Amino acid sequence: MSTAALTLDEGLARLGAIAGQAHTRVRGETIEVAPANALETAAILRFADQNGLAVSPAGGGTKIGWGNPVEAQIRLSLERMTAVREHSWQDMTCTVEAGCTWADLQTELAHHGQTVALDPLWPKRATIGGIVAANDSGALRLKYGALRDLIIGMTIVLADGTIAKSGGKVVKNVAGYDLHKLMTGSFGTLGVMTEVNFRLHPAEERTQTWTANAADAAELAEPLRALLDTQMVPSAVQLRAGKQGCALDVRVAGRGEAIKDCERRLSKIFSEIGMAPSGEAVWGVRQELYDAANATILKASMLPAEVCSVSAEVRQWAAAEGAAIECVAYAFGLATIALHATTDAATAFPERIIARLRARLRPTGGSVVVLAAPDEIRAGLDLWGCHSDALGLMREIKRRFDPNRILNPGRFAGNI
Amino acid sequence: MLHPNQIAELREAVGADGLITGASQLQTYECDGLTNFRVLPGAVVLPRTTEQVQAAVRICARHKLPFVSRGAGTGLSGGALPAEGGVVISLARMNRILEVDYANRYVVVEPGVINAHVSQRVAAQGYFYAPDPSSQSVCTIGGNVAENSGGAHCLKYGFTVTHTLALEVVLPSGELVHLGSAAPDAPGYDLAGVFVGSEGTLGVATKITLRIVKRPEVVQTLLAAFDTPQAAGQTVSDIIAAGMLPSALEIMDTLAIEAAEAAVHAHYPKCGGLLLVELDGQAAEVETLMREVRALAEKNGAWETRLAQSEQERALIWKGRKAAFAAVGRISPNYIVQDGVIPRTALPQVLAEIERMAATVGLRVANVFHAGDGNLHPLVLYDRTIQGQEEIALDLSYRILHLCVDSGGSITGEHGVGKEKQQALGYMFAEPDLATMQLVRCAFDPESLANPDKVFPRPRLCADRPGPYTPHPLETAGVAEIF
Repeated sequence: MSTAALTLDEGLARLGAIAGQAHTRVRGETIEVAPANALETAAILRFADQNGLAVSPAGGGTKIGWGNPVEAQIRLSLERMTAVREHSWQDMTCTVEAGCTWADLQTELAHHGQTVALDPLWPKRATIGGIVAANDSGALRLKYGALRDLIIGMTIVLADGTIAKSGGKVVKNVAGYDLHKLMTGSFGTLGVMTEVNFRLHPAEERTQTWTANAADAAELAEPLRALLDTQMVPSAVQLRAGKQGCALDVRVAGRGEAIKDCERRLSKIFSEIGMAPSGEAVWGVRQELYDAANATILKASMLPAEVCSVSAEVRQWAAAEGAAIECVAYAFGLATIALHATTDAATAFPERIIARLRARLRPTGGSVVVLAAPDEIRAGLDLWGCHSDALGLMREIKRRFDPNRILNPGRFAGNI
Repeated sequence: MLHPNQIAELREAVGADGLITGASQLQTYECDGLTNFRVLPGAVVLPRTTEQVQAAVRICARHKLPFVSRGAGTGLSGGALPAEGGVVISLARMNRILEVDYANRYVVVEPGVINAHVSQRVAAQGYFYAPDPSSQSVCTIGGNVAENSGGAHCLKYGFTVTHTLALEVVLPSGELVHLGSAAPDAPGYDLAGVFVGSEGTLGVATKITLRIVKRPEVVQTLLAAFDTPQAAGQTVSDIIAAGMLPSALEIMDTLAIEAAEAAVHAHYPKCGGLLLVELDGQAAEVETLMREVRALAEKNGAWETRLAQSEQERALIWKGRKAAFAAVGRISPNYIVQDGVIPRTALPQVLAEIERMAATVGLRVANVFHAGDGNLHPLVLYDRTIQGQEEIALDLSYRILHLCVDSGGSITGEHGVGKEKQQALGYMFAEPDLATMQLVRCAFDPESLANPDKVFPRPRLCADRPGPYTPHPLETAGVAEIF
């Protein structure tokens, strides 16, 4: 921390006075501070705002590398705000502090057989705030909707220390603007969430997953189309495409005869390719893509009907370059693609694939965001690929919320 | 009054047949479904294209004329009430369904398309558009987007915002932007999510991409008659606690049943609390669950449970429910519809308190509610010809909203804040909350031209920068950590 007005020691003392010295420390050129509540968070942000210090809010840190790099003077950790404030199980809602991990929340909700119906990455470490800020969602989104459909209210601390509430604790509510929708996926650039209210669903009691295998993703396109055109309501459907061929996984939850009934229908739809029961483990493959060293990881958004064809195309593009990809694509149109650069292809291969994929998806409203990449590749990339004609409006929103640009400056789309 | 030059510019923008300035014709637009507020607009334009909307909005921006966009005018909170001397932009002529994509399960429509027409258009392929406000046979998608309309089936299927993938919007400056996309998670802020439900205060939607849903294989509708709405309410709680998610859970009380019967002869059992449960999905599952629902109803004292035996019977049940508001006109000369939301568990206490409050001022309240999501529609019955009664009725209706907020709920579940509940919004949200919402408003509409003086408790100007930090009331009360 080296602004003209403030030394690192002064900053440490001032922040320590707010959050307590035990919860304030220096790491390199950054001060890490962990407030206990919204009030302390507000005081920290107000201090940072008045002194022009950049703040990076952090939960479990699992997705802290997503987006453009931020040089923050203050790392605001939510690690002390971990309480499940309220679980109104009869109303099927809950209120939780932003620093609570996903797994801890779900454990609490499970006491009454309920769940926030979302399957984000790294649930044991990822926190509510981080998941919401990054708008992470998994395969369950097919049936239960995106994160923004599950959030019914929020407490937000703005850069100037204003503590604002949005929404409420009831599922149906159209009073005022839905600030919580603006916050979801805003990567900590507009404010710091301190509490989130969720609507809950009954946990899926009985589930069954089946898998169909094929040499090429294109072969799975027709059965997938047929499946989604039926009146079955699978809770998750994903396509896996990689070195070992391709597979389509379908998960169904239900009561009574429902699961057997689905099995009969699925076996008809997949009569040519064949489909067999498999395990829950297949739903963890998206996360496994991140384990590979030196992979470039993309979040590709496309029309649902393009899932198989796009996966097949990307696989061919990579093969033509002698490289490999692995892809996990959800039936609602979101894919995670891992590009594995071969040593000789170096940086140019991911860059070419990204450019080609963006050109392919853009005409139909799709997009490619680079989530993770080795440093040498990342440096030359436009990570967000945002071509929205509303970018000016987004910048204006940022300017109104955070005029001094202290919250994750530059991290977001359009360098917001 | 608009200046003749302004009128001439508007005529240029939308053509002579797209402009209304005659006093008698303007009267058609002086109010929406909330008829006790009336304002005559300066002019009404009826554009046919996005370009015409843009041209009209640019004229408004240049002359700083307030404008209010309007669909079918069925809104119940005064959202389409004109601004004094301003321009009404009626989207009624932009009523084309532009694209239907079954493979990707979406449709693209203009804002003037009627809600029910979307479902009708895709019905042959087995799809429907899920949000179904009671006015769906006349209300428009543009209006639904403005209000984030719900309906009886949003317990399971969600609201307009859940089904809105993308929007083409004319900003209050006249600039055209595209928010969201048919493909999920467009990079950038979720402005489509913020725009839906903003009650016409952020711009004019000129094209809307909506999700369509496969029609369920079977739909079963059960009527269960109880002695009290509380017993019906307990059954709702038990159904939810059993881990079921019905597509609709509706309760009507004696007065509402009486009114609906008088209007459409729905053959409802005469009872103190009528519960309507609709389950949909795959046949095997629905049958299993419906058996559980019947058992729960009987456990709570239902003396009659009746499963609709045909599609006609089912339609009649819904016709009665959806006609309930208007039907109240048959048992009372005037009435006020309210739209509070409470946590489901607060239902018995809140109903008892509403009854007590009504009795204290000598009025009757009929209750119709989407019980699954706690959305109450108390109908306060009164007679305008009795001096002072309208004021008493209005006061009662606002006190009911305060009761909803005090019970942990909201002042509106689907009708919007509009003109009617501006002050109540100030009861529900504290000043810092409202100031933060205003930041969004000012980013979209720095001149406050789009539907001004609506939603927020007092006129606010974007030049007002939020002042120095003021503590949240909950902080000063020392209970900050509970919110």
